Amino acid sequence: MSLDWYGAWQAVTHHPLFGAGVTLGAYQLSIAVYERTRWVFLQPVLVSMLIVISVLMLCGLSFAEYRVSAEALTLFLGPATVALAVPLFLNLRRIRQLFWPIVLTLFVAGVVATVLGVAFAWWFGAQDFILMSMAPKSVTSPIAMLVASQIGGIAALAAVFVMITGVVGAILGPSLLRACGVRNHAAMGMALGMTAHAVGTARAMQESEECGAFAALAMSLMGMITAVLLPLSFVMLS
Amino acid sequence: MLLRGLSWLVLCQLLGTALNALFLSILPGPIIGMLLLFVFLLVRGEVGEPLHLASSSLLKYLPLLLVPPAVGVMAYAEAILADFWAVVGALVLSLVLSLVFAGWMMQALIERQQRRRGKA
Repeated sequence: MSLDWYGAWQAVTHHPLFGAGVTLGAYQLSIAVYERTRWVFLQPVLVSMLIVISVLMLCGLSFAEYRVSAEALTLFLGPATVALAVPLFLNLRRIRQLFWPIVLTLFVAGVVATVLGVAFAWWFGAQDFILMSMAPKSVTSPIAMLVASQIGGIAALAAVFVMITGVVGAILGPSLLRACGVRNHAAMGMALGMTAHAVGTARAMQESEECGAFAALAMSLMGMITAVLLPLSFVMLS
Repeated sequence: MLLRGLSWLVLCQLLGTALNALFLSILPGPIIGMLLLFVFLLVRGEVGEPLHLASSSLLKYLPLLLVPPAVGVMAYAEAILADFWAVVGALVLSLVLSLVFAGWMMQALIERQQRRRGKA
């Protein structure tokens, strides 16, 4: 009796839960690697993404098919984005201490961060959809992905640009800020949270509690104003 | 508890989707939902236990939820390779400049505020 190995393989890889299964496995593996090494550039999202892409290519599956079979996970991304309002609200308590410095830095430096990214990419000759995916690079991924697709970029590219920005910011950030004479912990936290979102905030927490708290506040505020103002200004400019 | 908080989150997301379809097509549904929840929390002045539980549970797994959309880059591998140096250069340069600028500006403003308070 000969077993239908090929048929079984096909049944498994085309099962409606295959994508979710591969993603769960890849995520746990990358979390384990990250916790063991603590290397900031081994961000679980990036490592899982690479593992999933390799598995899909080995199995000969397209992204379109994967997207359908991973829908069980993506379905919760919307409610998770809504849930970001809770840390934003909790972090907001801190704003009263330094209201004007925070608000002014947020708007001026937020515009600088966004415009510089797009301007450099345009100057270096990147294509239009890359520019639009680059615009929300400083904010947390769920918001960046939504904003990017809203203004004509690509959510997946935005997610990768966000992760790269966060990793580079967390690695270079603290020493760069010190070298430039920024030693105030609230200011360091603000800079890390605004430009390098969650990865920068995690790094800021290693500096000091104050630094971490301001990074968390800056990340939340930057996420919210980018989510609202970037699509609005895009509509007005075009 | 968890389910009650989760229901709130889903409700906000659905309201956001409705508002997006009705008259706010420039803002994505989940972002309108986030703003609605934020306004609700501001009015209420505190985060209830069910909502706190649901949001921290979901946000703990946020990186996992981000993996499937991020895998979408495999469809754009060629485009990224074509613009690879433009992308990397723009990301790193703009990050370095804006990070230092934000830190410097915040520090200058804090020092100014402290000087003013010192005078008053």
